[in-house]
Order: sequence, then structure tokens, then C-alpha cells
Amino acid sequence: MLQSRGIRIASWVILIALSLTMIVPLINVVATSFTSKAGSLQPGVILWPEPFSVEGYFTLMNRMRIWLPFMNTMYVTIVGTALHVVLCAVAGYALSNENLPGRNWIVAAILFTLAIPTQTILVPLFIVFRDFGLLNTLLSLILVDLVTAFSIVLMKTYFEQVPKEIIESATMDGAGHLRLFWNFYMPLALPGVITITVFHMVTKYNLFIHPLLFISDPDKTTLQIALQSVVGGEGSTFTSDFIAPNVMMAGIVAALIPLLIFFAFFQRYLISGVTAGGVKG
Amino acid sequence: MTATEHQPPRLGAEVVSKGGARRFIAGARRLWPYYVMVAPALLWLAVFLVWPMMQGFLISFQKFGLMGSQGFIGLENYQKAFSDRTVIQAFINTVSITAGITIAGTFLPIIPAIALAEITPRPMRQGLQSVIYAPHLLGWVIIIGIWMNVMSPIGLVNSILQGLGLIDNPIPFFSHPAWGQPLVIGLTTWKDLGFHALIYYAALMTINTELIEAAAIDGANGLQRIRDVVIPHITPAIRVVFLITLLGASHTFDSAFLMLNGRTAETVRTLAIFTYERGILRFDLGIASAAGVILLVFSILLGTIAQFLPGFRPKKEA
Repeated sequence: MLQSRGIRIASWVILIALSLTMIVPLINVVATSFTSKAGSLQPGVILWPEPFSVEGYFTLMNRMRIWLPFMNTMYVTIVGTALHVVLCAVAGYALSNENLPGRNWIVAAILFTLAIPTQTILVPLFIVFRDFGLLNTLLSLILVDLVTAFSIVLMKTYFEQVPKEIIESATMDGAGHLRLFWNFYMPLALPGVITITVFHMVTKYNLFIHPLLFISDPDKTTLQIALQSVVGGEGSTFTSDFIAPNVMMAGIVAALIPLLIFFAFFQRYLISGVTAGGVKG
Repeated sequence: MTATEHQPPRLGAEVVSKGGARRFIAGARRLWPYYVMVAPALLWLAVFLVWPMMQGFLISFQKFGLMGSQGFIGLENYQKAFSDRTVIQAFINTVSITAGITIAGTFLPIIPAIALAEITPRPMRQGLQSVIYAPHLLGWVIIIGIWMNVMSPIGLVNSILQGLGLIDNPIPFFSHPAWGQPLVIGLTTWKDLGFHALIYYAALMTINTELIEAAAIDGANGLQRIRDVVIPHITPAIRVVFLITLLGASHTFDSAFLMLNGRTAETVRTLAIFTYERGILRFDLGIASAAGVILLVFSILLGTIAQFLPGFRPKKEA
């Protein structure tokens, strides 16, 4: 683009160096996770398991019972995302109607909520969820971020792009609201639906502050919190329950794999969503 | 965020303002199912976002004991907060972490974005783009886990530095107060580098290559072409990234919380973390809520001031 040989060479160098800061730590993590306990405690550069062992994963499954929080996370992710998408898509559809009286006020009110980040209302959020009797329930985590201004506005923009002529002629043919929504709006707004679905799934999978606030029951804990106690185990060197780096990294790999598979499949939407979000706000 | 600015003019608004109240009511009556469709979303936002925020304000003006509220005490919680050494330190930490993340997170990603636009085989470009974007999707527990492994005293970085003879003893990256903030800033920047680069990259794709050719004919070298053509072109995108980064950084929680331990607490405890420690762990609701309100006001102020920074005003399109 810039037609400069120097910059082209520099570009390759920069991008490869940058990619290495992603790839090398990852190889290091995977290699450590497949190393024996004793091997993982040796100083040095581990880029290949030496000696090879799956005892890290064994400890993670049997002693840490990582599958339990994993199932909780999956439940919250799937149910929470399904509800999120329905609520935000329907709201976005309604707000895409230009003739709706008071529409601008409603949109302004929704955008106003962007000014309230979760991290600034941790204490009252805890109080509200406690008053509703939602502490230590997975429902609390489903309710979190159930509606976001980002998703509503994104859906609204998608629905607004549906050509008016199509809708008018369908109305002439006697199509009702539901038929219009399902047969005409939905297919055209599908990329938007997929975008908010994949983004919300990632959000729910990575949920950290909310389970930290709401969940203390070990049976209801989520993957990220369970992982934190495994990774944070580094400090408990003095107890007999010492967690070696191979177990920690096995946990990281176990949490990483679903995300990376997901990324491989939905890359297109995760990337186009960024540029859409970046331009629109 | 700035979603309102890019929307097309609203046709509905004109109809309403011309027709007046009667028309408004007639329209509302005819279109009532649409309100039913927005209602659940609005209800959720009111109950789980606006109501807690108002609660936060209310609690911050009350004295709270184990049995609940013991009445309003005016600004006492705020006086306590402003004279609390931990709160002041947390505020200073928040400001310096915010400044670091905003500066690094806004400007550094311009480099890989330009680099991405420069390299040619398209599959390579997309591959590298995916690789540098991936960390954005990872939760903080995973990010910290990965880097704790790489930068542990027996890990890759220390082993290499020792092997090269640059250091005698391993650097305690995650258990030294001086490393706390640089790591929070550095890892946040690293995590979002690809994400921000993607925003810049999208802006770069709309650049008029004839301008660059013209600059080349005028004898501008590569760096001059970047400075005079590319950077002015992506200024609106820089503004967007600046705002996203600034607001995100001002309520840093996860990253710093996961790096917080006895040694690093003093330097990485942000205001958000303070409200959690005091309010949830020690159940000292009054001062924690006051600190929460201070943080909320601080982030809203930052956002408002940032909108009016010179050079960041959106230019009116001719």
C-alpha cells in the first residue's frame, strides 16, 4: 500500500515478532502441561514435554474435578446466550421501526446504560442479587449481561438495513407481524444474530467478576473461578496440597481448547463484529 | 461509546414533532406490540443496571451495620473515603494504570495495523490477523495463567535471561511491587493489541491509494507517507479506540485482581478492587459504595472530558 520496500520488510518483522509473543507462550504452556510434576518444576525453557506425562490432566480431572465447573459454565453459556439473543434481537427489531413514537428516547435510555460499567457497581449489584435470593444460583449468572446496549443497537442497525420494498409488498400480500419477522427480517438479519451470539458466548464463557461476587458454593462454581484457584495455587507452596505447574497448565489448556475451536469456526463473525462495533461505537 | 453519531437522520422523529401529541398517541396505539417487544429489555436494564446504580448512591449516604442501614449520615462515608490512605493509593493506582493502558493501547496497535495492510499474500495476512486477535477472546484467568508460566522464576523468560548472563537471579515478575503496574498495563495492551489493530486496519482499507502515490511522486519517503497521509486518514478510528480504551482502563478489575498478592497489593489495587475487598469481603458497605460512586463519577468525567479534547472533535463532513 505504501510502496516502500523498507516498510514492507519491517512489516513482516513486526508481525512475525508479534505472533511469536502469542505462539511461543502457548507452546510453552502446552509443553508444560504434558510434562511430569518433577519435570515441570525444573528451571529451563520447556518447548517440548520432557519427560512426557499426562499426570497433570489426571490430577485436574480426578482431584480437582474440573468437569463439574466446566458443565456449569457450559450451562450458563448456552442458556444465557439463547435468552440474550432472543431479548436483544426482539428489542432491536422493535426499535428499527422508524415510526415508533418515542423511539429516540428509548434508544437514548439504552445507550445511557453504557455509562454504568459493572466494576463501578459491585457492591450494590451484590446487594440487589442477594435481595432477590439469587446468590449461589446459576440463574444469577444467566441473568448477568442478559441485555446489553451493544447487542440491541447492533441488531437495530441490521434490521434497519432490510429493504422497505420487500416488507411493503409482503404486507400487501397479507403477511402478519410474526410472518414478517420470521420470513423476511430474520433471514436478512441473520449475520447480526450470529455476531451477537458468538460474542455473547465468549463473554459468558469468560465471566469472572460475577461468579466471584455471587457464587461461593463449590458445586455451583464456574470454570474461570475453578481455574483461578488452580493457577493461584502457586502461593500455597507450604501446604501439602501443592499444585505443580503441570497441573496449572493442564487447566489452562483445558479451558483454552473450547475457545480456540470456537474461534476457528466463527472467526469471520468475531472479526467482522469488531469492525462493525468499532465503527458504530 | 459513540453510537449516536453515526446514525442516519431519523424519519420517525420528524413525523412525531410535526404531528404533535395526538399523532404520538395514535401512533403509539397502533404500534403497541413494538413496545411489548422492547419492554423486557428495558425492564432488565432498569432492574439490573439502573437500580443497582441508584442503590449505590443511596448506600453511600447511609451508615451500614451488620443489621442493615442505620440511617442517613450525609457525606461521612465520602469524608472517610477521601481520608483513607488505601483509597487514595487505589485512586492513584487507577489513574496511573488508566494513563498507561490508554496511551499504549491507543497508539501501539497502529503499527501492526499498518503492517497488516502492507504484507501481500492475502491468506498470510488473514492468518497473522487471526493470531494477533486471538488473545482478545481469552479470559483474564487464562492470560495470567499463560504469562505466569512463561515469566515464573523458573520459566522461559528468566531461563533465557540467565542463560544469556544478563541477570544473576531470576526476576520475580509477579511478586514484586515495581513490576505490578507495568505488567497490568503491558498485558492489557498485549491482550487488546490485535483487537484495536483490527479497528485501525478496517479504517486503513478505505484509504485512497492515489493520495499515497501522489505523496510518493512528491518525494515523500515511507515514514513521511505514514505521517502525512495514513495517520490523518485514521484519526477518527484513533478517537474511537482512545475512548474505548480510556473507559475500559478506568475500571480495571480482573487483570489487576489476578496479579494481586501480598507483595503487589499496594501498586495494583485499583478502586474497583478496593470496592470488592471492602464491600464484599469485609462487608463495609458505606465506604465501599462511596468508593464505587467516586469511580463511576471519575469514569463518566473522563469520558466527557475526552469528547472535548482538542484534535478529537469529530470533523463535520462537508
